[in-house]
Amino acid sequence: MNVEISDLTRRFGRTQAVAGVTLATGPGVFGLLGPNGAGKTSLLRMLATVIPPSSGRLRLLGRDPGVYGPRREIRRRLGYLPQNLGYYPGFTVVEFVEYFALLKDMPAGRVPGAVATAVERVGLGDKARAKLRTLSGGMLRRVGIAQAIVNQPELLLLDEPTAGLDPEQRVAFRALLRELGQHATVIVSTHLVEDVGAACSQVALMDQGMLVFHGTPGELTARAEGTAAAGDAPLERGYSAVLAAARSTAAARS
Amino acid sequence: MTAATDAPVRHGPPRAASTGPLTAARLLRIELRRNAMLWMLPLLAALFWFSTYRPSMALPPWWNLRGTLLQQQALLGFAPLMAGVAAWMGSREGRRGTADLVGVTALPRWAGQLATWAATTCWAMVAYLGGVAVVYGITARQATWGGPLGWPVAVGAAMVAASCALGFAAGTLVPSRFSAPLVAVTVFLALAAGAIAIEHNSTYAQIWPLNVQGALPPDTFGTFSPYLPDLAITQVLFLAGLAAAVLGALGLRAAGGRWLRCAAAVAAAAGLAAAGTGVGLAGTARPEAHGIVIPTLHDTANDKPIAYTPVCSQAAVPVCLHPAYRSLLPAVTAALDPLLSEVAGLPGAPVRVWQVASTHLQQRPHNGIELSGPVIGGSPPVVSLPLSGMALPGEGHTTAAEFIRQLRSQVPPMLLNTLIGGDQLDTNGQQGSRSARQPSPSVLAQQVIKAALAQVAGVPPDSGVPPLPPGSPADAAAKRFAALPAAARHAWLVDHLTRLRAGQITLGELP
Repeated sequence: MNVEISDLTRRFGRTQAVAGVTLATGPGVFGLLGPNGAGKTSLLRMLATVIPPSSGRLRLLGRDPGVYGPRREIRRRLGYLPQNLGYYPGFTVVEFVEYFALLKDMPAGRVPGAVATAVERVGLGDKARAKLRTLSGGMLRRVGIAQAIVNQPELLLLDEPTAGLDPEQRVAFRALLRELGQHATVIVSTHLVEDVGAACSQVALMDQGMLVFHGTPGELTARAEGTAAAGDAPLERGYSAVLAAARSTAAARS
Repeated sequence: MTAATDAPVRHGPPRAASTGPLTAARLLRIELRRNAMLWMLPLLAALFWFSTYRPSMALPPWWNLRGTLLQQQALLGFAPLMAGVAAWMGSREGRRGTADLVGVTALPRWAGQLATWAATTCWAMVAYLGGVAVVYGITARQATWGGPLGWPVAVGAAMVAASCALGFAAGTLVPSRFSAPLVAVTVFLALAAGAIAIEHNSTYAQIWPLNVQGALPPDTFGTFSPYLPDLAITQVLFLAGLAAAVLGALGLRAAGGRWLRCAAAVAAAAGLAAAGTGVGLAGTARPEAHGIVIPTLHDTANDKPIAYTPVCSQAAVPVCLHPAYRSLLPAVTAALDPLLSEVAGLPGAPVRVWQVASTHLQQRPHNGIELSGPVIGGSPPVVSLPLSGMALPGEGHTTAAEFIRQLRSQVPPMLLNTLIGGDQLDTNGQQGSRSARQPSPSVLAQQVIKAALAQVAGVPPDSGVPPLPPGSPADAAAKRFAALPAAARHAWLVDHLTRLRAGQITLGELP
């Protein structure tokens, strides 16, 4: 498994953002759904080795990220797009992607080619020399994706990657996700269930720090059958049904 | 809830680490192209022009004067701004919200930080050394003697690196848009505090980076004897140590492996040791006539005077200056020649005026010094004239006329007192109120001649020649003597100087 999580928790003071999540996944596109504050971003940040877990076991790409050497090896193979992408306005698209390629410890000789490929893959070839300050929000998001995929990651973590993208770009991005998922484990945290339906082979749903569903998008859709769950699309209704069931179970326990 | 997919396990082979010169060079290239210091170069150039270039060019083209300005004025202007810009670069990740993104990259964070600092420091060095090249280049065309002083520039370069390191570290630790101005103000205040500290502490405060050879005036060192590098060595040691300690501390803070932490710890410890050693050595500094001496570092070969061939005026009494002072020869000659031509050939009169290195007496407990003045001595008599420490033409608002006035207020009174005597108000031994102290008739005659010659020589009032009461017989006698033709005055002095000096001539015997 590329990602192995066992009883993983993360606390921020008295708040428990992630509460005992257990998960294992290999190559493919994995959708992570959940309402605001469900703990998706905290889970993704632990997977990205930004923050360590408070407790539990975490192995990425067969290595322990708690130890410096393996963590560095994981990071060489990691792509990460945070929810709020920070950027340097004075950098050009190519410079920004090249900068991160170098920080990811790619062999320097391979960097120019990898940068050009990544920029082309996100459809920014004609903006390669543009300063980031001149780009729209959607273009910046694509720059963020380019820096995440420049090192051909084996584990790609994308937090709200389609936010700000127009429908055409979103369709292209889903195709890119499917392509990347053939060789790598791609975990996509999103609010947009149509992204999950179109691109993900597996989906998990988080609520209040816990994993309340894991399966295929079809299985999630099936959860809505026989219920009066709200939603405009079948997947949305499945999402609502699972959430409602999880919350009623939690209420009954308490 | 537990979740698992059925996908196969992937254990990719280790990827080759690429960290090496090429990666570092590419990182540095990006950082150099997108560095805030690059955009500050025009401002730094303007600052240099105002703070250093203009004052430098107003001074005589002496390497020691201009080298001093390159360490003092340039750094006072540059260091706060450079530290502020470095803080801006150091706070970049925090301000721009890229900390998460950068934090999960494989390259040790310290390496990335060092690349950013190096690029920032590189542009700062370009600004500083570019300014040095301009000033020294012009000085090379103007100077009549000597060569560029390297040590003030070495201290300046070390200060630039240390300012950038301090600012960068501050920006990294407190990433805010306010970090840059706060750091700039703090560095400026620290430099100002150093000026105050050195006034009240003559030992450890000598390490202050703007301190060039203590309280000695800039034209007292590096001309008659070699520039003493003792203090500059301790300053470079201190500043380089400070930079290494700060950067090492950054490396300790950045997450990394054992070797990285060891390297950072070694850098921090070595830096602290170097900085501490610098301060300790500065505590043993003592001022000498030709610079600050630190016994542990001192090379006695630097105490030997530098041989030179003086430049002399073609006058009855030649004025000879160090070749570095060639441009001042006309002014010095103009200042002294009126009196020298009056007394030339008289018994005890100087046969030459010879510029000498100044000597000084250190004032305790403060760090001030008192410079020696002109003296006459030897056989045949020669006036030893130290020009160091005087306000030179172009320095501040000093004009050539004011420089001449300074010289005339120092040399002629000394010369007249030596030649004629009469510098004691009361030769009768009376000690009482000022009104009761009246010169004896013989002393009065001496004072009349001195007053007359001082008038002829253009000596400013209140310059050590006792004034005569206006309208008094003595005043009238002085005016009469001054009105005589120069040849008549000289002939009278030839005949009567020995008796006048011995106090054997009274007011009534004067022409």
